Amino acid sequence: MNDSEKLSDEEIVEKVRSNDQELYSVIVERYQHKLLRYATNLIKDEHKSVDVVQESFIKAFVNLNSFDAGKKFSSWIYRIVHNEAMNNVKKYPKEVPLLDGVDFQSDENIENDFEQKETVARVEKCLREMPLLYSEPLTLLSIEEKSYTEISDILRIPMGTVATRIRRAKILMKHICQKNQ
Amino acid sequence: MSKESINITKAVMEKIHHGKIKMRPRVYFIAGSLLTFSGLIASVVTSVFLVGLMRFSLRSHGPMGEYRVDQLLSSFSWWVPVFATLGLFVGVWLLRQYDFSYKINYKVMIVGFIATVIMAGWVIDMMGLNDTLLRRGPMQGVMRQYLQDNNIQHNPGWERGSRRFLKEPLS
Repeated sequence: MNDSEKLSDEEIVEKVRSNDQELYSVIVERYQHKLLRYATNLIKDEHKSVDVVQESFIKAFVNLNSFDAGKKFSSWIYRIVHNEAMNNVKKYPKEVPLLDGVDFQSDENIENDFEQKETVARVEKCLREMPLLYSEPLTLLSIEEKSYTEISDILRIPMGTVATRIRRAKILMKHICQKNQ
Repeated sequence: MSKESINITKAVMEKIHHGKIKMRPRVYFIAGSLLTFSGLIASVVTSVFLVGLMRFSLRSHGPMGEYRVDQLLSSFSWWVPVFATLGLFVGVWLLRQYDFSYKINYKVMIVGFIATVIMAGWVIDMMGLNDTLLRRGPMQGVMRQYLQDNNIQHNPGWERGSRRFLKEPLS
């Protein structure tokens, strides 16, 4: 398993597709925390986000042969989670509660830095009060650390729109965070 | 690691191990791509023909005059645009179902599709390919039926405007 952890996502996907389905667990392990955090930011419900992420991994596995290995797996799986989360939001529009201090444990470096963790927590709190239209690209940029190109791929919107939404989101964020202080 | 995360890995891998979920074969996606592409080509060809037919209809009735417009509207088959719109929406829906992961700008695609159809219809009409369709093409039966229904006589040797035109309705 250690050797496989050195492989890129795309290389693992190639191996899973050819014969080694067991390696799919490496992909799941690699992405589950990030995707859970992303889904929770979208649907504001920890339990539903677990279902969404699980369903996304299943969908990704079933359709793995449609993945273009020349592209980024990360954008592909985020897109699937985005679609699943949006379906969930549409399905239960009135059942979306606001979370209070929900966070997922992770062994990522970002979580080891207290200052960064605190910032992330504050950012997440403010993001929850923002419309999804603006909070999602900002989440992908500031929390998921995606590039503008990746955000454009995940949300299927042009780069200019990504930039505009992020700019507006930052202004909104400033207002919301200042109001909360 | 959180409990939920462990459960996700376990749940997903258990489904794979027990064969509850299976990877769709590559041929499924190749066939899907080919079908979608063929469907799009077919809908473009059909739409181009329908645009040509509409222009043909306008020409044969004359573009001016309320009576002629009324005549055109009364003889126009309204299922045609309904079918075209439905076809376009179903096509986009199918594409969305199939390609759920990569970026496709549907607005640009739809606008591009409509512009292509109108342009192609106009070009085909200007080049006189309608006459070829009428005489030998696969839409021969439909075109003949249209002419018969609307009591229009067709003379393939005639030219439209300065070059060739179709005869006025007989009635």
